[in-house]
Amino acid sequence: MDDSQAKKFQKELNGGLVSLVLLAVLARTDEDLYGYEIAKRLQRANEGEALFKEGTIYPVLRALSAGGYLTSRIVPSYSGPPRRYYRITDEGRALLAQWSGIWRQTRNFVDRFIEGTEP
Amino acid sequence: MTRPAPRSIDEYLRQLRESLAGEDPSLIQDALYDAEEYLRAEVAANPGKSEADVLELIASTYGAPDEVAAAYRDTEAKVKAALAPPPPRRDTPASPAVKFFDVFSDWRAYTSLFYMMLTLATGTLYFTFAITGISVSASLAIVIIGIPLLVVFIGMARVMALAEGRLIEAITGERMPRRPVHPGPPAGFMARIGDMLGDPRTWTTLAYFVLMMPIGIVYFVMATSGLAIGIGLIAGPVLEVFRRFGAFGSWPHLTLEPTWLTSPIGFVFCVAAGVLILTVTLHVARGVGRLHARFAKALLVTPGS
Repeated sequence: MDDSQAKKFQKELNGGLVSLVLLAVLARTDEDLYGYEIAKRLQRANEGEALFKEGTIYPVLRALSAGGYLTSRIVPSYSGPPRRYYRITDEGRALLAQWSGIWRQTRNFVDRFIEGTEP
Repeated sequence: MTRPAPRSIDEYLRQLRESLAGEDPSLIQDALYDAEEYLRAEVAANPGKSEADVLELIASTYGAPDEVAAAYRDTEAKVKAALAPPPPRRDTPASPAVKFFDVFSDWRAYTSLFYMMLTLATGTLYFTFAITGISVSASLAIVIIGIPLLVVFIGMARVMALAEGRLIEAITGERMPRRPVHPGPPAGFMARIGDMLGDPRTWTTLAYFVLMMPIGIVYFVMATSGLAIGIGLIAGPVLEVFRRFGAFGSWPHLTLEPTWLTSPIGFVFCVAAGVLILTVTLHVARGVGRLHARFAKALLVTPGS
């Protein structure tokens, strides 16, 4: 199979999923996380090749934060520029609940055809 | 594009900057900042490896500069589109009158008006800060104390420029940097000072601060006169009607020059003129907001990036 086709399909899928995953990661933890930490958590959860490059989560984090779904604070760091720590807001949790519903519905719908339970 | 894979953080950042050439300077500033945070953390997390070894694996984890640049271009637009409520759709083209009064439903008009009044305070603050900073550090530069003062002063100026940018983005929606200026490759203290003084943005930022005083005065006068005249023209006749029904006891009655204005038709005319002036004021405020955002971007963000 053509590898570039697979990559393109993955990229198309990732469009909205990255934001959903980031909201889910931040909703499941009580601590504030910064970009690098979130990237490493995703990397650990991943089996085999990464579904998306870690560099792509930063612009999404920033956009979610600008939309009021995450709050952030800056903490100085010894290893580099100050880190921005993120925490999910109530609006973010509401968005996550809504999007999770859409995701489950979509996944079930697609699975019905792929697994052939639907004629 | 075929470029050699970056072997150091500085080289990676340089390539990322190249890949983003032509993008919004605020977006470039943010992208470089994020990449540096990740790369430095990655190097710190692998103490046994050299920077070059860590960078070798970066393309498969963080992504190559081209990929990351593409992510900033696409993802930001896409996520923004998914999060923003869909723009209201109008089936029939609006008449000019509806368009004219539509400004009352545009939040940017109100925030811009607020900003115009705020600039009297911020403009005075910026002006005082810039003039004091320049004169104190310039006059003390002959003794050694002037140098650290200058560094602190320029550092504070950058933070204030970032804050002003955030304020302008909140008010006009124009994209402004969300992260401070990238300090550039590590260098000695004196080299850093040289960079600061040689950076055109340092000087345009200070120019912006100085100019904000006269500009702030003009904005304030425009906003307050428009509001005062508009509201006054609407409120005058209305209050006069209440007074005639005895609402305010023994207040003297309202007289307007020329005297024909002190009549029912004159009152209607006053209220109509007040509404018109208020609407025009909001239009002007929205326009000023847009122009000012471009002006601020040209002086606070674009130079030297």
